Amino acid sequence: MNAHSSPTLWNRLVLWYHQMGSPPYFYAFAGRWRPWFIAATLITAVIGLYGGLLLAPADYQQGDAYRIIFIHVPCAWMSLFTYAFMAGCGLVGLVWRVKLAEILAMESAPIGAAFTFVTLVTGSLWGKPMWGAWWTWDARLTSELVLLFLYLGVIGLYHAFEDTRQGARAAAFLALIGVVNLPIVHYSVVWWNTLHQGTTVRLFGPSRITWSMLWPLLTMALSTHLYLGWSLLGRARVALLELEGGKDWARAIALEDAPHG
Amino acid sequence: MNPRPSPAAATLLEVRELAFARRDEPVFGPLNFDLAGGEIGLIEGDNGSGKTTLLRILAGLLRASSGSARVDGLAPGDPAAAGMALLLGHQLGLKADLGVRENLAVAAGLYGQREGCGITDTITEVGLDGYADVPVRQLSAGQKKRAALARLRLLPARLWLLDEPFANLDRAGIALVNRLLDVHVAGHGAALVTTHGAVSFRDHATRRIALS
Amino acid sequence: MSAPSARTGYVAVLRRDLLLAWRRRGEAALPVLYALIVATLFPFALGPEGALLSRIAAGVVLVTVLLAMLLSLDGLFRPDWEDGSLEQLLLAPQPLGLLLAAKILAHWLTTALPLLLASPLLAAMLHLPTAVLPVLMAALVLATPLMSLLGALVVALTVGTRRSGMLLALMLLPLMVPVVIFAAGAVSAAQQGLPFIAPLAWLGAALVLALVLAPAACAAALRIALDA
Repeated sequence: MNAHSSPTLWNRLVLWYHQMGSPPYFYAFAGRWRPWFIAATLITAVIGLYGGLLLAPADYQQGDAYRIIFIHVPCAWMSLFTYAFMAGCGLVGLVWRVKLAEILAMESAPIGAAFTFVTLVTGSLWGKPMWGAWWTWDARLTSELVLLFLYLGVIGLYHAFEDTRQGARAAAFLALIGVVNLPIVHYSVVWWNTLHQGTTVRLFGPSRITWSMLWPLLTMALSTHLYLGWSLLGRARVALLELEGGKDWARAIALEDAPHG
Repeated sequence: MNPRPSPAAATLLEVRELAFARRDEPVFGPLNFDLAGGEIGLIEGDNGSGKTTLLRILAGLLRASSGSARVDGLAPGDPAAAGMALLLGHQLGLKADLGVRENLAVAAGLYGQREGCGITDTITEVGLDGYADVPVRQLSAGQKKRAALARLRLLPARLWLLDEPFANLDRAGIALVNRLLDVHVAGHGAALVTTHGAVSFRDHATRRIALS
Repeated sequence: MSAPSARTGYVAVLRRDLLLAWRRRGEAALPVLYALIVATLFPFALGPEGALLSRIAAGVVLVTVLLAMLLSLDGLFRPDWEDGSLEQLLLAPQPLGLLLAAKILAHWLTTALPLLLASPLLAAMLHLPTAVLPVLMAALVLATPLMSLLGALVVALTVGTRRSGMLLALMLLPLMVPVVIFAAGAVSAAQQGLPFIAPLAWLGAALVLALVLAPAACAAALRIALDA
């Protein structure tokens, strides 16, 4: 029975993949799903923030200051997740020249850069009470800063080309170089840190985080993923319309949305 | 009738259903034509009809949107086909700070030399005697063009892709291009030429390809 | 008919680029001049105390040399692209990576080598302890080819765009961070009397890896950027 059902599932996946490659289909699909994404984002964010800011106990060392992790840590995770997503889409775009993959890669870059920026800002806000300074050359923060430069490089290169698709392909290649580079940067920064600073305050030691802190954190992580989905689908829709502006389906949508009369 | 096909009759360029679109806007095609050794093809079309684009695709610098092209049986851009076709475009590919001789030596180092062709002889042939060691930046536009034509003569490519070869040339220069083409064709080479000037050239072409 | 070979192509490109640099040797002196200016400004900004300067000397020389190389990177492919000779490299029968390796070697010889020769002077101006100078030079000998290789890889992606020096710096910075860390780490370890071989060995390993991979990656980047 399994032998019978798996090909159909596979066929459905293949069909879905091909449908997704078609711009009008993706445009409609994204339009249908966006409201669900934003609704789920808001619900999970409210639950997560309520759990993190009100229900979770204060830290015995840091008091309430630690509560910024409910923003900081999910954003830090997302900064990496979005990069991986961007590089993955970029690879698909480079190898198979899939237009939609190129668009998704390039449209996720600004979102990832925003996550990285929020991570840096909340990190330095947290750093002030922790280290007594807005900025410390902590290995994680420094790697995050380099990640921001990687994002900005990808965005900058994409916009430096006059031909959007050519720019997307070049920027995707840069993103892939970054995939190789980022771990090297991280470990070299860690090594550099031990060389120069002896010991730094460890934000997450081996100490276990309690469940009452963990579940709001995970809920917030879910919320940021959903936000990425909402934001990316919206951006991709706009980019797709721009790229396909001359096509009939895009014209039809423009006419539909135009004020009548 | 010839009992066996001469090498001149062998098809050098084979274009099948070749089309190109920029940002999904069709530029030309689908095109179908063959070019055998000993033939000269004239590409006709208005400004913006994709003449230069077609030559760049055949040279392997651009990717066609659909269809195929074969240069001596190989796809353009295939490493095994490298050097088979030679493109002379609007940018002549000459380093302005080097002399004609030095420029030709670089090209010969990359692509090799045609049998029985020396750099000095080639320079004489295109009428640049006495300018062999003058930096290219000091040459006139027509002389630069002649220096680029010398590269055509020197390198062993069998298919020439010439984009507006008559531009910037005087009467003697136009005669030179036609003479070079005659020699090339006599040696079983083939050429694709775009031009909107030099009307007399039309009689030269053995085949016409219209882009619209 | 003399057949082209990998060797004749490599030699032709290397010879061409060296000849071009020689014809414009005034321009080749500019990075050295730039490095000299930057190194001169530091004592004015920080004060002339020898102890402070000697502590930062190695880092300043390193960063200055790398920035001076960054300035020259835009000229690696852009002139060739503008006059059409890059197309001749793309269409040549030799592997593109090999020809680009020749260009990168020529770039290193014409910009990094003069900077290397000038760096003992820069180090002396900043009171670097003489005993540490060999370590700094070793770090530079390993770091500058890395800069040429990684820089070529990044600058290949910007061929075909509008001129963009700032973008180049932004794209190159993440790649340069580990190089700077290990090169400076070696020198500062030597200055503190600690073993400095390990960071140099890491740099060397990275250089070998880049020598093997970067030219081919650079070729791929160039083909992507020019859509060939």
